[in-house]
Amino acid sequence: MGKTTKERVLGALRGEKEGIAAISVCQYATYELMEKTGAYWPEAHYEAEPMAKLAAGGATVIGLGAVRVPYCQTVEAEIYGAKIKDGGKTHIPSIAEHPYKIGDEPEIPEDFVNKGRIPAVLEAIRILKRDVGDKAVVMGSIVGPFSVAANLVGISALLKASLKKPDSIVPYIEAATETAIQYAEAVIEAGADALVIEDMMASLDMISPRTYRALAAPYEQRVIAALGKRIPVIVHICGKLDQVMLDIAATGADAISVESAVDIPAARKKFDEAGVKTPIIGAVHPIKALLEGTPEDVAAAVRKSAEDGAALISPDCAVAPNTPLKQLIAMVEATEQL
Amino acid sequence: MADVLGKLKGAILEFDEDAALEAAKEAVAEGVDPVKAIGALAEGLNELGEAFEKMEVFLPEIMLASDAFKAALEILEPELKKTHKEGEKAIPVVIGTIQGDVHQVGKDMVATFLTTAGFDVHDLGVDVAPSRFLEEAKKIDAKIIAVAALMSTTRPVQKDLIDFLEAKGVRDNYIVLVGGGVVTQEWADEIKADGYGQDAIATVEIAKKLLHVA
Repeated sequence: MGKTTKERVLGALRGEKEGIAAISVCQYATYELMEKTGAYWPEAHYEAEPMAKLAAGGATVIGLGAVRVPYCQTVEAEIYGAKIKDGGKTHIPSIAEHPYKIGDEPEIPEDFVNKGRIPAVLEAIRILKRDVGDKAVVMGSIVGPFSVAANLVGISALLKASLKKPDSIVPYIEAATETAIQYAEAVIEAGADALVIEDMMASLDMISPRTYRALAAPYEQRVIAALGKRIPVIVHICGKLDQVMLDIAATGADAISVESAVDIPAARKKFDEAGVKTPIIGAVHPIKALLEGTPEDVAAAVRKSAEDGAALISPDCAVAPNTPLKQLIAMVEATEQL
Repeated sequence: MADVLGKLKGAILEFDEDAALEAAKEAVAEGVDPVKAIGALAEGLNELGEAFEKMEVFLPEIMLASDAFKAALEILEPELKKTHKEGEKAIPVVIGTIQGDVHQVGKDMVATFLTTAGFDVHDLGVDVAPSRFLEEAKKIDAKIIAVAALMSTTRPVQKDLIDFLEAKGVRDNYIVLVGGGVVTQEWADEIKADGYGQDAIATVEIAKKLLHVA
């Protein structure tokens, strides 16, 4: 492979066959990576310098072809007024209190991208571009509108309403779409090479294909369309997505990141039949392979993903922070040997 | 009576809380055996559960059906207590999501299915400290402690619970079941849990198996 890792990642995201590379679409910070980089949670959740320093370790310590910020999925909800529970040194921040009850009118915070932790995320992107932008794709990660809505009213309330009163949750998804576009624009302006939309609640573990098509996909599509192909967009959704893979592709995503629960060869076959070229990224299990497995288990998962037709190798979803670094390095090394 | 039982089951299959309440009241008015009435509800929930495993129905349906089940159960339970004979006491179970973890949905589903299977379920909610599990287990003389963890960062706290029970010298008094998205059989073995429930239905099965009531 003559191309650099970064060229391979960008090539794959453009749908070109430049060769395979290992990235982590979702968060990859680990306790050992914090030791190595000297940047730790919780500071790395809130301040640009440690946020960037820890993320940069993805390229400089692990050898990933892409780096990303932030580490949690609460940035948007916090600006909407969610109370955040700090996770200290070991956990990611989580939502302690949802700002809305279904029926309340959601209010789009003014000047969204200058609020909360977004300025820190944007500054971290600029630092990452400066420090590791030559060797790694710099990705900004935002939360998909359906998932932000879940953070605004609570997942249980959202899921129940999605079935009985879908109209009652549309205002939250609409608001979240609007702010997602603002946030994504700012991420592009800060110089990111690619955008990740994590829409973890739009998973078939949570909702039906019908609900995905009605309440998640159209809004993902709207965010992607608003960005006008300026940078590649990776849509990440958790769970067993076989029934909606074509629908995700139809959002206009440049690549789809999936878990190993998805039958990637079957999805590729469906894509071929439909003339869909969207690359699929995946799928090394973060618990079975990375956390609990051996380096050989990781290498086997990498080889299987490549054989299955993954265009880039990535953990299924967020890496557990107590994952040994050697396991993540094994993922990179096994990918380089393909 | 067959009609009322059909209505109860149908209300669950349609995940219709109002209809379930209505049918439960009708069952009480008609003097239907509450065990049979609850059985009809459970049948509906089990059918939905099977369809859920095949990805024919999805989580929101199960959540609403659980709500409908709980609503109907509240009407039927007092009747059950009236007719209950000694020696048929439901087996008490304590369930909760472990400290630091606020995931609720999967744990609720397991709690509901344990209830439908006839267990006396005491749900402590989410973010539950090991000491709280033990306190409640002692209070209700629980046979089973079922503990969920949905995050890789909170999974180790399941081990803390087991260590806590060991330290208090009461580990052997309880069957400890672990579950949740990040939990595996290997993990259950490693921390010496008594059983691993991959999902709600599997948890009911392992609970019955370990209690020899299958």
